[in-house]
Amino acid sequence: MDILNFLFLDSVFEFFDPKKRIFIGYILTSTIIASLWLIVFKKINFSQSIKKIFDKKIFFSRSAKSDYLLFFLNQIIMSIINPLLITQLAIATAIFYYLHSFSWLNSGAFNNTPEFLIITLFTIFHFVLEDFSKFIVHRFMHKWPILWALHKVHHSATCLTPMTVFRTHPLEGVIFTLRGAFTQAISISVFVFFFGSNVDIATILGANIFIFAFNIAGANLRHSHIDISYWKWVEFIIISPAQHQLHHSVLQQHHDKNFGVALALWDWLFGSLHHSEKISQLTLGIDINQKEETHSLTSLYFDPLKEILFITIKRIKRLKSTLKSKKHISIGVNR
Amino acid sequence: MLSATSKLLLAGVLGTTLTLPAFGDGHSYGPFPITLKGYSGDKTNSVSYTGQIARHVQHDSLKKLAGSGNLAEMMAYFKGSKKNKSIIAPASKGDFKIKQTLLNEISSGKNLSGKSYKGIVNGWPGGLTGAEVLEHMINKAAEHGSAFDPNTGYNYPQLISKFAMGAVFYNQAVDNYLDEKLGPDNKPNNKPYKDGAHYTGKEHVWDEAFGYWGAAAHSLNLTAEQNYNITKMKDMAAADHNGDGVVDLKSEFNFAHAYYAASYDKSGKTNYFNTVTQAFVDGRKIITAANGEALTSAQRSQLHALRDVIGQNWEKVIAESVFKYAGSVYKDIDKLQTIMESNGDTTKAFATYGKHWGELKGFALALQCGKSNLGETAVKLNRMIGFGPVLLNLSQVTGIDSSGNFIKDESSGWDEYKLHMLKIQKLMVDIFAVKAKANDQLANISDLSAKLGGSNSAEND
Repeated sequence: MDILNFLFLDSVFEFFDPKKRIFIGYILTSTIIASLWLIVFKKINFSQSIKKIFDKKIFFSRSAKSDYLLFFLNQIIMSIINPLLITQLAIATAIFYYLHSFSWLNSGAFNNTPEFLIITLFTIFHFVLEDFSKFIVHRFMHKWPILWALHKVHHSATCLTPMTVFRTHPLEGVIFTLRGAFTQAISISVFVFFFGSNVDIATILGANIFIFAFNIAGANLRHSHIDISYWKWVEFIIISPAQHQLHHSVLQQHHDKNFGVALALWDWLFGSLHHSEKISQLTLGIDINQKEETHSLTSLYFDPLKEILFITIKRIKRLKSTLKSKKHISIGVNR
Repeated sequence: MLSATSKLLLAGVLGTTLTLPAFGDGHSYGPFPITLKGYSGDKTNSVSYTGQIARHVQHDSLKKLAGSGNLAEMMAYFKGSKKNKSIIAPASKGDFKIKQTLLNEISSGKNLSGKSYKGIVNGWPGGLTGAEVLEHMINKAAEHGSAFDPNTGYNYPQLISKFAMGAVFYNQAVDNYLDEKLGPDNKPNNKPYKDGAHYTGKEHVWDEAFGYWGAAAHSLNLTAEQNYNITKMKDMAAADHNGDGVVDLKSEFNFAHAYYAASYDKSGKTNYFNTVTQAFVDGRKIITAANGEALTSAQRSQLHALRDVIGQNWEKVIAESVFKYAGSVYKDIDKLQTIMESNGDTTKAFATYGKHWGELKGFALALQCGKSNLGETAVKLNRMIGFGPVLLNLSQVTGIDSSGNFIKDESSGWDEYKLHMLKIQKLMVDIFAVKAKANDQLANISDLSAKLGGSNSAEND
């Protein structure tokens, strides 16, 4: 009972941790931004805007309910898995050691750089590396069938709420944890190697200043039905909520677009950028005729595993038949 | 008018004085009563470890002399002298007055050479025993004539002092007195330590080990900061327990590893000083309680448990020192590299590097003078540190020739050597679980890792 209590509290703490997307402060600013957007651009009054933002049909939809359940269950599952994973400290230490083996690299080469400059550089570097690594991993999640089988859980949401961020398969969670560990380790080890012991990160309420800015500026609206878009030129640099909502659309032309988290630059560079569109209602999910069962817990947790198994069996069969046909050809040649 | 703090202090002092029982206050090493059966002399206190204090003083004096180039003087403190030599260190400094000025006022006929580690020291070239290594170092120090030799990178006072603390004090205590001499038939408790002694075999065995540890008898009543400042000669009030205006080296001063323990405990992360000293006090109480009878197996088991506490924590204190100075050497190389890049004057920075390296090497050699063979840990430690520091021309002492002169060869370079320092720090954490971790070169990495906090959550941004 104590453990359950502890895990429940852990989940609740997420709402009070400024490092987390669903920190109540960020939810509040997202609500204000959404309300202002609706009042100014959709010409509705304040109370109508609040009604629209907290639309019961969305927040009590089957899709949203399964998001809430996954949030709690994954918390328990990840608390068991995470201690088994390699930590950013172990990787950072290994990289830090490894950097010493290059005679042409001088550790502490920039030790005398002013502290504020080191902190600025580190904060920017880490934010950019994090955002880029998230983009790349996300791209792979869509492009590789085995990974797509896992990532489909997230895309099976037919309604978006800020809690959809937690609609994630635990195995995908493992990938994300390792990604985070590696990127943090790279930033930390490289900077400490070159800049010495003054390396630090600029934070607000403990969160990276850029992540804080991104979240306070309404990042929660990415997973919502409030389709805030930016000026076109801004959408080349920063991803608007509407651009990410489009990433969740069932329409063919929106598939594999807008993989980025904060920066749109990566999508622009890799040719997957799609600007927001004036569509009154996007259909969200995996396909138009998505079944209700896709929101069941069994389906969310076990369908990806089944699919991975099928893909693997199919691959093995294909490999066997390829080897067989090659054998026939080589026998034929010998004759 | 007395200030509130003074009143509090006065109340504390009066309270302590008034509640002190006749024998032992539970927090002091002695006095303990005579328990030896059939003793008819007039002694009332069975505690005796003046021989160990004399050796601490010989060590401190030798360290002071190691930069002088005076071989005969150095040898007089290392091998002992028939003359009543003066105490070169610790000597009175300002208000910090030392009671004794001559060695024989503490104990006569003592030496360091006869009590040095008898095994082969693998971390020093030449396959020499502990005593031979110290003698080799002393001879080289005399040959060179000053503390630091830039040709080898050796700082002799540091090398000699840090190694001697392990080769004599640590080795004698944990590998002799707290080892075979705790056996039932070796120096039994129902007999005098030697003919004519007023203390039993086990009482004196335990006292001698405590003497080598080096803590002041009343030190458990003090804070880590106070104990540290006693050795630094900055806190007369804390040192002068009996209030006679002078510090009695026989009981009121902190020597050697006890001082290093206090220096780490100041950080609040460790409690080595009190743990070891309390174990000594507790062990002495068990022996006293046996009242001159042979120790029972239960009593010996209790002593063995305390002996283990002492040995493990003492070893950690030395490992903390290895950790600390590996960090210093890393930082010193960083500084040297920066100076070299701008073609600056490296003289001062190089000497500092040599000093820290001497401490690192000395402590690393000391660590290998314990009760058990460190095996692979010792091999790693010796190989990573090498026989000498990497020098400015990237050479390093790699051995000695048949005449005992140092041979140098190419080293693996600065960065490789820095990596060795990091690995030594990790080794000390992995093997000895050091906690104070002074000069931790990976601290920034672990702090940042903690601050960024990982991204251990199943979240799809």
